[in-house]
Amino acid sequence: MMWKGPSMPCNEALRVQAYFDGELDATTAMAVEQHLKVCVECAALYTDLDATRKLVRESAAYHRAGDGLRQSITAMLDRESGQPAKSRRWYAGDHRFLSGLTSGVGATALAATVVFFLAAPPTQNLLVADVTNAHLRSLMSDHLIDVVSSDHHTVKPWFAGHTDVSPPAVDYSKQGFRLVGGRADYVDGHRAAVVVYRHGLHVINVFAWAADGDRLPDAVERNGYHIVFWESGDLVFCAVSDTGESELTELVRLMKETKA
Amino acid sequence: MSDRRRRFEAQAIPHLDAAYNLARWLARPPLDADDIVQDAMLRAYRAFDTVRGNDVKPWLMSIVRNCFLTAAGRSKDKLNVAIPPDHEIAIADSALIAGQPDPEATVIQMERSRDLNKVLATLPEDFREVLVLREMEDMSYREIAQVTGVPIGTVMSRLARARALLKEKCHLDVEGPLHAVQ
Repeated sequence: MMWKGPSMPCNEALRVQAYFDGELDATTAMAVEQHLKVCVECAALYTDLDATRKLVRESAAYHRAGDGLRQSITAMLDRESGQPAKSRRWYAGDHRFLSGLTSGVGATALAATVVFFLAAPPTQNLLVADVTNAHLRSLMSDHLIDVVSSDHHTVKPWFAGHTDVSPPAVDYSKQGFRLVGGRADYVDGHRAAVVVYRHGLHVINVFAWAADGDRLPDAVERNGYHIVFWESGDLVFCAVSDTGESELTELVRLMKETKA
Repeated sequence: MSDRRRRFEAQAIPHLDAAYNLARWLARPPLDADDIVQDAMLRAYRAFDTVRGNDVKPWLMSIVRNCFLTAAGRSKDKLNVAIPPDHEIAIADSALIAGQPDPEATVIQMERSRDLNKVLATLPEDFREVLVLREMEDMSYREIAQVTGVPIGTVMSRLARARALLKEKCHLDVEGPLHAVQ
């Protein structure tokens, strides 16, 4: 459908745009979805918005700060904070840590931490907490998706420019898992690539980062979210969702199959 | 290291690319995006104790914007609405075309980038600005309103007009030439 009319003929145009930009609450979003089914102009507008976004995200120059600029900013910060000596960092850090330990708050925190660590191997527990937090963060803020696309030719190259790894981003719509986009996130000290799927109303985040040989946690449920880890090639994958365990396992199976 | 510095490095420095990208899309020669960003980071650092964690990015971007206006010798909120198309346009970051080993596709992609960058550069500043903030930085309407200092309604209408104009200038039809690769 080609749309050649004047810029914005339908009254709903701004709401369609807000829907496209993910700015609407669920109820209003549903109303717009209904409207898109019956209004040819708005449906065409939506297609245009999507095409414009794809074009800008795929083809517009993104100018990154050069090393020279980064160095001069570091020098500026050194001047401003009046302490270029890096050796003081550790001293300052240790001092704060030790004085914290002697306070009551520090002791309570330490006790809590010990109990927490005893329950499971610490690095695994931290990793589970980290991906759960990243998943929650993605749902709460408006930062679920950096690159919106159901096309793996769009998502995968985007990762190459924005994250340390570039995992496959395959659409499994036919099996009920719709690829909706990708995101850069930070997990366990890695710049992770996140492939985002929708399964019905549920969001599934699949994190991927470079494997470093650590043993991965077993599949686990935390705060109502299912978390599954696996390794494939030289990447670690982690799928997180509040969807049912069997659905999540199915997506993991599909992804493992695709890799092989 | 001071608390402020530690916080600045953790919360502001990660947005340095975003700051620089905005400066590059706003500033034309003889204005230098490096100078603008350096000035902005200095001001940001000195005022950093006043900002809350969630707001760092829009806050920083608004400082970049103001530093650009100052450097351009314009008072606040005075973005130009027409830009001479005489600016040398950089080819898109090579990262954008990574993962496309097909040389023919790469050439088409490069031509597409050059065309699009030219079109973007000739859009009115206030339109270019909202497109950069929304499509490249994925900022919400609220954040864009914070950066540009206009109400959310203005952000929405500006964005709609910017997108319509971009589409018009690119002859962006679904089967159009810019979509030849797909």
